[in-house]
Amino acid sequence: MLAGPRRTRPTGAVLALVALLPVTAGAQYPQRAVEMTVLFGGSSATIAQVLADAMSKELGVPVAAVSRTGAGGAVGYSFVRSSPPNGYTIVWNSNSISTVFHSGNIDFDYRAFDPVARIGMEVPALAVRADSSWRTLREFAAAARQKRMRVGISGRGSFIHLVSAALFSRMGVDVVYVPYGQGTAPAELLGGRVDAALQWPNQFTGQVGAKQLRVLAVTSPARIPVLLEVPTAKEQGFDVDLVMWRGLAVPKGTPKEVIARIEGAARRVVASPRFKELSAKLGFEPAFLSAGEFGALVARDDAAIAALMTQLGLKKR
Amino acid sequence: MDMVLQAIVAAMQPAVLAATTAGALVGLVVSAIPGLTFSLALILVMPFTFAMDPIPAIAMLLGVYSGGMTGGAVSAVLIGIPGTPSAAATVFDGYAMARKGEASVALGAAVIASAFGGVFSLVVMMMLLEPIAALAIRFGPAEIFALVLFGLSTICGLAERSLVRGLIAGVLGLMIMTIGLDEIDGVGRLTFGTVQLQQGVHMLVAMIGLFAVPQVIGTFAGHGRVKPEIVTEDVRGLLPWSRLHGYWGLMTRASVIGTVVGAVPGTGGPIASFLAYDHARRFSRNPDAYGTGEIGGVVAPEAANNAVMGGALIPMLSLGIPGDAATAIILGGLLIHGLQPGPLLFQSNLDVIYALYVTVIVSWFVILLVQVAGIRVFVKVLRVPAHLLAVCIMVLCAIGAYAARNSIFDVYAMAVFGLGGYLLQRARIPLAPVVLGLVLGPTLEQQYRTALILSEGSHRIFLESPVALVFFALTAAIIGWQIRSSLARGGTSAA
Repeated sequence: MLAGPRRTRPTGAVLALVALLPVTAGAQYPQRAVEMTVLFGGSSATIAQVLADAMSKELGVPVAAVSRTGAGGAVGYSFVRSSPPNGYTIVWNSNSISTVFHSGNIDFDYRAFDPVARIGMEVPALAVRADSSWRTLREFAAAARQKRMRVGISGRGSFIHLVSAALFSRMGVDVVYVPYGQGTAPAELLGGRVDAALQWPNQFTGQVGAKQLRVLAVTSPARIPVLLEVPTAKEQGFDVDLVMWRGLAVPKGTPKEVIARIEGAARRVVASPRFKELSAKLGFEPAFLSAGEFGALVARDDAAIAALMTQLGLKKR
Repeated sequence: MDMVLQAIVAAMQPAVLAATTAGALVGLVVSAIPGLTFSLALILVMPFTFAMDPIPAIAMLLGVYSGGMTGGAVSAVLIGIPGTPSAAATVFDGYAMARKGEASVALGAAVIASAFGGVFSLVVMMMLLEPIAALAIRFGPAEIFALVLFGLSTICGLAERSLVRGLIAGVLGLMIMTIGLDEIDGVGRLTFGTVQLQQGVHMLVAMIGLFAVPQVIGTFAGHGRVKPEIVTEDVRGLLPWSRLHGYWGLMTRASVIGTVVGAVPGTGGPIASFLAYDHARRFSRNPDAYGTGEIGGVVAPEAANNAVMGGALIPMLSLGIPGDAATAIILGGLLIHGLQPGPLLFQSNLDVIYALYVTVIVSWFVILLVQVAGIRVFVKVLRVPAHLLAVCIMVLCAIGAYAARNSIFDVYAMAVFGLGGYLLQRARIPLAPVVLGLVLGPTLEQQYRTALILSEGSHRIFLESPVALVFFALTAAIIGWQIRSSLARGGTSAA
């Protein structure tokens, strides 16, 4: 096939103009392009692009993934919250709504949004170098009592940091958290400057296959498809159940029928084999939840994160 | 050998050629517009690659990357505003050449240097992938800090007449980049409680403001009184090969700088091009000509920033670790097509790897052809009356600032930085060190703090690394050299 970007997607500028048009009734939704705000780069942004592309076909109007990164999601959440609640501005959200609120960087929480659907999950994994002698969390914990370990994570107060803090406090060891930006923690692990790294599985898979890194545990309640041979922390006797959910939300007050329309489109996309296939390649686990169930999950998770952040002294609000 | 032939055949398929060409064109055009970077071009192109076969898809993304790296030089030379941050160092001499009536020479030199740097780094990647990946891993926070500190010492060379004014400018640049949530603790700094300031200052937005706005104000302030500075010219010949005589060694050294800096995760094009620019000036027989339209000041940064591409692909392909924003997007493109970067990629998908190598070379041919044909058209921009051009520049820059983060706040931020830049210029404080501070500040701070977290607060981590010590020694040498030459000149420019 001939490839070429002959059809340009509407950019943020065009959408901003479109957003100024008067609000139309929910019944005819959607009549124009929908903008999906993306809060972070990396693999979550690629998944957002895949999702937006598939949603365009379902909704019959362009769905543009527009990146509004920065400040741990605060910028994007603030933008969507202040947009008209008409279904034309949606946010690709995650547990970051709780971490960014409780760290005191925004003055509104998850209740400023109406849930639409959970799309899937990402499960943090703890890896060490393959030439190390640790094969289980218990062996690592025993070694960590002899020598203070350095663990590579993403920024302090990030979800990854919370997960690692929860895991190591259950294991009863004290470690040094080394925050790395731009996904360089695996390189630091390979370079021997940290003893372990907690990151997303797809950051490790290449090295795991090449037998340079070994994943000790994942933090979900059940094993994950991309790392089936890796036991969960729970299986190894450390009760941790923390996964990153990703889903869609809209500003509070969006009409019910509009939410139902987006929810239906998302349901069909997540069920499609194509979305499943691409997700698997990106290390993302599709797991649809309807608006109601998703809302309950978000609320439950927010309470858990608040408790965890209080325990860690990271809660500012 | 069979594999290589197969790869060439695969890369010469019409679909792959079309994808490469389209990618290179998109990259060139988008990045020639100030503010629209190749990262944005990559994001725009990404959805089109979802439905393609793996080789054309990756070919298109790589085409955008190489086209985007060269496109930034076009606006740097013609209107004095870098199309991408990596082209910032090209402005100093490229724009000066254009004002001397040598725009087509500067553009021609830039494209030759770009292609040279790009192909050089590709060859290095093909020959030395494993040793360079191993070297890149040895660069931890302490080593990167030392490298960036060395980069900061080049402020001496950018300070123009007064070292004190240069240092003031450099510190301003460093300070600007501390605005917002800090990368390590997520603590807001200088945000005055607003969410908009939490995201910090986008390097590109500040850069556009500093380069474009003072120029536009100057145009209007002097309208009708100042004769147009720009001399239009006739374009003779296709490319200025003869002018590059004696610069091939410099291009090679700049390409080495670019490849190595590109391979170190967490650095990137802007840092490499400033290091190469300073290297060119320092080892020139005529360092005072730099900044006034010296061709070496164009070829060095352009060779370096394009060499960054091959360098950055090394840890991305061999370790799965993206070195900068652009390679992170390309990594997503590889994953989507089931290509998991890492050591195994070179065993299981060697055919794809070879095809990618060939594709990059093809994309350079396309870029050369387009640029050679385009230079004649591009230089016509200079015939536009200055005040009309200034209006167009303002509009383009506002769009570019908006597109950086899809935020109207950045358009205002650009205007504020521009006004600040104009005032600094009036106070005879040079803007180049401000830009250097913008480029290096975030990395400098982050790596320093990460190194101290690793060592649990001990500065010995900086002294225990031989690599870091080498860069510290180089930094000290440059500062010593600067002080000596200032004193030799009679102390007029000494601090």
